[in-house]
Amino acid sequence: MKNYHGGHIAIRLALGGCANRPFFRIVAAYNKRARDSKYFEQVGCYDPLPNSHNEKLVGLNIERIKHWIGCGAHVTKPVEKLLGLSGFFPLHPMTITNAERLRKRRALKAITASEEETPGD
Amino acid sequence: MDELVQRLLSKMTGLDLQKVFRPIKQELKPPTYKLMTEKQLAEATRKAIEEAKELLKMPPVLSEREPIDDVLAEDRILEGTETVKYVFTDITYSTPHRERFIIVREPSGVLRKATWEERDWMIQVYFPREGRKLVPPPIFKDENLTTVFREDRHEDVLNLCIAQFEPDSANYIRVHHQTYEDIDKHAKYDHLRSTRHFGGMVWYLVNRKKTDGLLIDMIQRNLMDDATCLINLYHILHPDCQSAKEAKEQEAHGVDLIKVFMKTEAKKVGYIELALQAYQEALASSAAL
Repeated sequence: MKNYHGGHIAIRLALGGCANRPFFRIVAAYNKRARDSKYFEQVGCYDPLPNSHNEKLVGLNIERIKHWIGCGAHVTKPVEKLLGLSGFFPLHPMTITNAERLRKRRALKAITASEEETPGD
Repeated sequence: MDELVQRLLSKMTGLDLQKVFRPIKQELKPPTYKLMTEKQLAEATRKAIEEAKELLKMPPVLSEREPIDDVLAEDRILEGTETVKYVFTDITYSTPHRERFIIVREPSGVLRKATWEERDWMIQVYFPREGRKLVPPPIFKDENLTTVFREDRHEDVLNLCIAQFEPDSANYIRVHHQTYEDIDKHAKYDHLRSTRHFGGMVWYLVNRKKTDGLLIDMIQRNLMDDATCLINLYHILHPDCQSAKEAKEQEAHGVDLIKVFMKTEAKKVGYIELALQAYQEALASSAAL
């Protein structure tokens, strides 16, 4: 076992899959390791492309996630967002912020579109 | 009471070793021959009977499950960010499938528990079971079921159904009921006689009081014990009917029990009388011989 100075365990997404077909594994690994290299344990999976029923599948091994967080693992932002969406964590503030920003942008676009229409008529 | 019911049902199912151990589709092997003494042969037949009893264990009969409709959280802020549902499944190996958390986050921001069909599908994706497909095969549609029944392959359909669906899902119950109705319509009771589906069929028929065809079939095959078992079961399930009270008063057994039942409850009285007469004539002629 390699000993890292000042490293910590992280629960993060490891990318796999083929060209134009990503697939993430949710993995407990040392922070300093490469993204796809040796990990302690695979704790779930996330498929970013929707399937035939228009769903994105996420599998989470809740018991082992609890164990690793109990051992002091840090959780990266994408995994935090996923866990917030699932209900296991409270909703991540960035998800809410992004949602509000998107709404404001769409509202602005709708207003500018209607303003362009009325002078044009 | 359940023990008694189970015993009656298993007695009616019969133990035809030849049919139970009929060659299933397996890899081809040259047959092996063993030389045994009489004692060893008796041992082997005993073990075969025990194995047959294991194979003939009836699958559970449950009432239809109620649809799940539980909303865990409503976050209307997220409406419009996603175009896709997110399905989160709990993959802990040690939780039973019934208690797994399978949660869906809709694009409208509502966090709800998954419906039964979504649950079955997810559990099959992450924990695949032998004999189950992700999408139920088209054999379970109504048009295809009629074709299968015409070819007399009821027990194959029922075996596939048991492998594919949960015992309390709507599809399982629908397919089973349709199979039993079809068998009752065409009096093909013998197809299921030594399989594990016989008990379920008898339970269904007795609950709906459609036992006449089965009775006639049993009398025609000279299975008097099975006929009395059937009527006993009927009395246990419907203790308020006329034939049950009369049978208790007269304490009838065997052929008399059948006659009592026939007079009070049966709809096809003529057929049952004819069959009984034929059976008694056959008995008389064989006794005379």
